[in-house]
Amino acid sequence: MVTDPGSRVVEPYVETDNSVETRKAVSDSFLAIHNITSNRFWQFAALFGIMFVLGIIGFVMRLSSGFDDKAAWGYYVAVFAFLMTTSSAAPMVAIAPRIANSHWRRPISRAAEIWALAGCLNLLLYIPLIWLLPSLENGRRSLWFYGQVEGVPAYSPHIWATLAILGLVLLGLALVWLSSLPDFAVLRDQGEGWRKKWGSRLALGWRGTSAQWNWQYHRMGVVGAFYFMMLIFVHFFISVEFLMVHVPGWIDSLYPVTHAHNALQAGVATMMLTMFFLRQFGGYKDYIGLDQFWGLGKLLLALSLLWFWFWFSSFNVFWYGKKPSEQAVLELLVKGPYLYLFITIFVLVFILPWFTMIWNPVRRSVWGPPILATSVLIGTLLDRIRLYVGAWDVAGKSEMMEDMMKMKMSEVPTAIPTPHVADIFVIVGFIGGSILTFMLATRLIPVVNIWERKEMLLYKAEVQFHRTKVMVMGKPR
Amino acid sequence: MQEHTQLSHKQINEDLLKDVLTVPKWWLPAVAFLGLVVLTGLCAFFFMVYHGLGVTGLNRPVMWGFFIANFVFWIGISHAGIMISAILRLTQAEWRRPITRAAEVMTVFSLIAALHTPLMHVGRPWRVLYWIFPYDFSRGIWPNIRSPFVWDPSAVGTYLIASTLFVFICLIPDIAILRDRAKKPIVKKIYSQMALGFRGTPRQWKLQIVAGILLSALVLPVFVSVHSIVSWDFAVLIGVEGWHSTIFAPYFIIGAIHSGVSAVAMLMALSVWLYGLDKYIKPDHFDAIARLLIVVATTWFFFFFLEWVYALYTLDSPDIALRELQALQWPYGPLFAIFVITSFVIPVPLWLFKRVRRSAALMFWTTILVNIGMWLERFLIVIPGLLRRTHMTFDWGTYHPSIIEILIVVETFAFVCLGMLLFAKVLPLIPLFDIKEGMVNRRLIKVGRRVVPATIREGLPHHYYEKKH
Repeated sequence: MVTDPGSRVVEPYVETDNSVETRKAVSDSFLAIHNITSNRFWQFAALFGIMFVLGIIGFVMRLSSGFDDKAAWGYYVAVFAFLMTTSSAAPMVAIAPRIANSHWRRPISRAAEIWALAGCLNLLLYIPLIWLLPSLENGRRSLWFYGQVEGVPAYSPHIWATLAILGLVLLGLALVWLSSLPDFAVLRDQGEGWRKKWGSRLALGWRGTSAQWNWQYHRMGVVGAFYFMMLIFVHFFISVEFLMVHVPGWIDSLYPVTHAHNALQAGVATMMLTMFFLRQFGGYKDYIGLDQFWGLGKLLLALSLLWFWFWFSSFNVFWYGKKPSEQAVLELLVKGPYLYLFITIFVLVFILPWFTMIWNPVRRSVWGPPILATSVLIGTLLDRIRLYVGAWDVAGKSEMMEDMMKMKMSEVPTAIPTPHVADIFVIVGFIGGSILTFMLATRLIPVVNIWERKEMLLYKAEVQFHRTKVMVMGKPR
Repeated sequence: MQEHTQLSHKQINEDLLKDVLTVPKWWLPAVAFLGLVVLTGLCAFFFMVYHGLGVTGLNRPVMWGFFIANFVFWIGISHAGIMISAILRLTQAEWRRPITRAAEVMTVFSLIAALHTPLMHVGRPWRVLYWIFPYDFSRGIWPNIRSPFVWDPSAVGTYLIASTLFVFICLIPDIAILRDRAKKPIVKKIYSQMALGFRGTPRQWKLQIVAGILLSALVLPVFVSVHSIVSWDFAVLIGVEGWHSTIFAPYFIIGAIHSGVSAVAMLMALSVWLYGLDKYIKPDHFDAIARLLIVVATTWFFFFFLEWVYALYTLDSPDIALRELQALQWPYGPLFAIFVITSFVIPVPLWLFKRVRRSAALMFWTTILVNIGMWLERFLIVIPGLLRRTHMTFDWGTYHPSIIEILIVVETFAFVCLGMLLFAKVLPLIPLFDIKEGMVNRRLIKVGRRVVPATIREGLPHHYYEKKH
């Protein structure tokens, strides 16, 4: 830097490598990877396709069993909640760092957004649940002040939950499409065959004018913010209407936040595994690097600690208060039949990630974060089974409605319901179906964001700093 | 930051040390006035000790009043330092640099203010010994270590020690500059002792940075635990409707961050006006903190909404009656309305406008409103909850704060202001080394016709980054 006589410093501009040739090289290299579909891809797609078929069989079996026995639907609701917790939350890995201007998100933001497409399967899983939700007419507790405020329909939970979940899915679709617009234009201009047609149909005349870019940033910011708010709203509904109302005496004002937090943690874990597979098998080794694992690793570390804090905040108040109704809830979900399951979850979701990722070499590695992400995802699935199977088991008891009005459980179940073959099919099948949806979508939409990567060329430079070279990153508003 | 002024190290030293090495005209009258208020508060306190708690408005069943509401408020304000300093430091937010020191120092003084309020509340401060000693040695009645009342002083004490250490570690390079510039031998000697032999060698810088990062990371769980435990003082009770709520810990913390960050914005405006630091604290800094406040305030409001929804969700008549008392009945109804309007309804929509966010004056007044609202929030949690008629209570008084309580509460505010002024007289309120580091790390990138600020990326070594593109 040069100092002028008035002690103000004259700043020279840093040179970036943003030439037309470099930008074209970025497009070419990404399109080259995108255009190739390996045999291994189709082998995995076939495997997940078979799983999905099993899921559909399980879905039909579960539907044919009818809606009278609520306890039988516990595992089904658990897998629905698990998918809402993972695939629907993964887009937050693109939205939040984009708002915070974090550059490390760029190679993984599109993959995170594509997970929103798996929300269509969640919508399919949700449809039968509308018939399972108890109406407000029987006097159950609800968020809707039914009977106290005039004009509240008895089916308010059904209406609002459906609208919220539908809204989330639509916002997810809008997010993927908006984010992909400039890349569809690249497919249109540089792609071949059906990809060219597909690109020109979806690019909607994108030419990259200043006005189009301004709108692009504006729309993505707005849709991203709405997606986040809708995600919180949906988890609020799920945790109350599909979980807490079924357990008399379970009044936990923190739980909607905990449920949403679990989703953020599992969403980060989902993305860690996704980027591991994209790096190892998808041909993106040069683009998805330690920076991404490190960035997400720090998030997972913080979210794991928050998991403990949220859990303890609820547990401590229930445990210390010694209210009979709350003790019964603890007896059901923590101390009773689910004790060992709970301990396993505690280890998988908190102990393992926290006490290993606190160590920098683990966070700053390619293998460490995915292994711990697997631990978190297994733990989250078990947690959903613990909570939803436990709650719907209680809902299946005949005295439930009477209990609900008294705000206490007449009987705490003493065993975990054994899953039916239909439940196993649904769990395996719909998880496989979500992965299959993601995989197929990556064939249609470039899984690494080409325009965000090119945009980074504008803001990234290498400069000499004393005796070393350092990276300089621009932070635009 | 677009409105950056690139300054030489010499200029930074001169600007930021001028108020330490000289005395501004307004400083002495301000210190004298605040000292007088503190003295009055202390006189009120000794009057209360002499005459007993009867001179306060505390009465059955409201045995927690102004003092406890004020305690929770100051604990909340103390969260600003860590929120601004530790979190923004760990996330490498560049705009933190001029405001971290003031936030950290405010943490220390507000924690001291918070700590002495419950001491006064017990009426006989020497009873603090019962925190660690048995109530009765001969019968061996020890304090219940499972009680949040026992955890509370431990957590607050740990937080105070950690925050003080944090402030001190970050001060060392600046103290070294003061040592080198001090003229009076005694002053030079004091600064020399405090600088711990800091000469700015590479090893000393490395240790100073590592210590700062480690303390940032370690103090975060302490910061979370402090307000969680304060909230459990209330939430683990089942006897008071409205208090037994699982959301209290996160609700208290997000409320604390809301009031604490607002207090930092107030401090920023005051620093610009009183010390003329507008070269360092720019409209962009107000803009950044206002954006943060929008997120924090919205999250806080969501928690507030959940707390209310779940209170009504129970359909229990005592819970609903308490909410009616809090929100609809005299005198709490109007206070409730003021609380909601000042802490959310007025400031957040205003912060959506760029002109408001970038104005020091508007940010000052809106954040003052937030803190009025957040003080009332604590008041409305503590007092109406206790006022509710419950079974087995044989008499019901009401609660009106006495002049003694008001004087003591005012004393805490004066104490924090006085502490900040005294601190600013002996040590710089803006970290010199942090500002200089920001200047050194800063670069500019030209993108088309726009100039984008850039900074040297800390973190992974250079060879970790892929070479391609």
